[in-house]
Amino acid sequence: MASVLTPVYIVLTMALAAFLILSFYYTLTDQGYRYNIGWLLQDTSPYMWANLGIGLGISLSVVGAAWGIFTTGSSILGGGVKAPRIRTKNLVSIIFCEAVAIYGIIMAIVISNQETVFNPQKWSEAERYQLSSQNHHAGYSMFGAGLTVGFSNLFCGICVGIVGSGAALADAQNSSLFVKILIVEIFGSAIGLFGVIISILQVTHAKMGDK
Amino acid sequence: MSMDLEHADSPPYSSFFGVMGVTFAMIFSALGASYGTAKAGTGISCISVVRPDLIMKSIIPVVMAGIIAIYGLVVAALISNDIKPKDYTLFKSFTHLGAGLSVGLCGLAAGVAIGMVGDAGVRGTSQQPRLFVGMILVLIFAEVLGLYGLIVALILSTKSG
Repeated sequence: MASVLTPVYIVLTMALAAFLILSFYYTLTDQGYRYNIGWLLQDTSPYMWANLGIGLGISLSVVGAAWGIFTTGSSILGGGVKAPRIRTKNLVSIIFCEAVAIYGIIMAIVISNQETVFNPQKWSEAERYQLSSQNHHAGYSMFGAGLTVGFSNLFCGICVGIVGSGAALADAQNSSLFVKILIVEIFGSAIGLFGVIISILQVTHAKMGDK
Repeated sequence: MSMDLEHADSPPYSSFFGVMGVTFAMIFSALGASYGTAKAGTGISCISVVRPDLIMKSIIPVVMAGIIAIYGLVVAALISNDIKPKDYTLFKSFTHLGAGLSVGLCGLAAGVAIGMVGDAGVRGTSQQPRLFVGMILVLIFAEVLGLYGLIVALILSTKSG
């Protein structure tokens, strides 16, 4: 009986096989020096890293918010068939999920404010190392910041959605339970906040430019 | 580009690994904490219908999952204060990557364990009150796994050289 994960296993095995075959080919034909992570990191533009970070930051946050909203929303609407009183109170759970998307957009704007144009042709020989390090550091920091806020908000949104769904269904049975299960949701939404904090810490030291 | 020997141990790309350490510390701890909160949360929602008096005691697994996220936050903040734009050696960069990975992946494992134990524990405690202490004991062992990751991360991030 083929499981639903069989295509995942097939793709992963093929990727691993391709990687192993290529590495053996390069090693055995004396071209091992071409596998050069330092060259890859240094020759890719810091703009690429920065914008990837910004894009992933906002999009993953929104995926998390959307996942949470549909999980909670479908439970509210299903439970509301027999207990329509739960409609308005449980919108609080939906707002918790939406807050995750707001964190994402705020961080995307903050990160993109740090991004400016720099021109390596204008650098003197003495300051080349310092400016090159600084701009690369800025690019990587923005990438890391975007990834941090994006993935933290993704996981937080899914978590708050699942707990909110449980809260809605418990509320439908006994209306005094909602406020107590909201405590668990608050713990869940703290996780997204931690991601925002670390993302801000990463991006405050990022300085792109010619100075 | 210029390959001067003077800056050979702190090339311009060395901050990538440190930044990835900070990122992994936060992301994987967040995943573990979210899993723990969600899984224990569904257990709490289930038992709250039949035993509303047990809800406050059952929030303990959720709190412990939140602590896992705090471990990741602490290590990420500690590492990111050490990352400098220039003269950031590859030694420090890779130790920061190792620190971030250790707290992150340990936190992920601990969070998943706390979630599953919390879910089963609250469901069992609702039917058999004597199981509460047992649930706490197992949760403590699961939490300590995240602590091990934090310890190794702190050892690595305070290495100088």
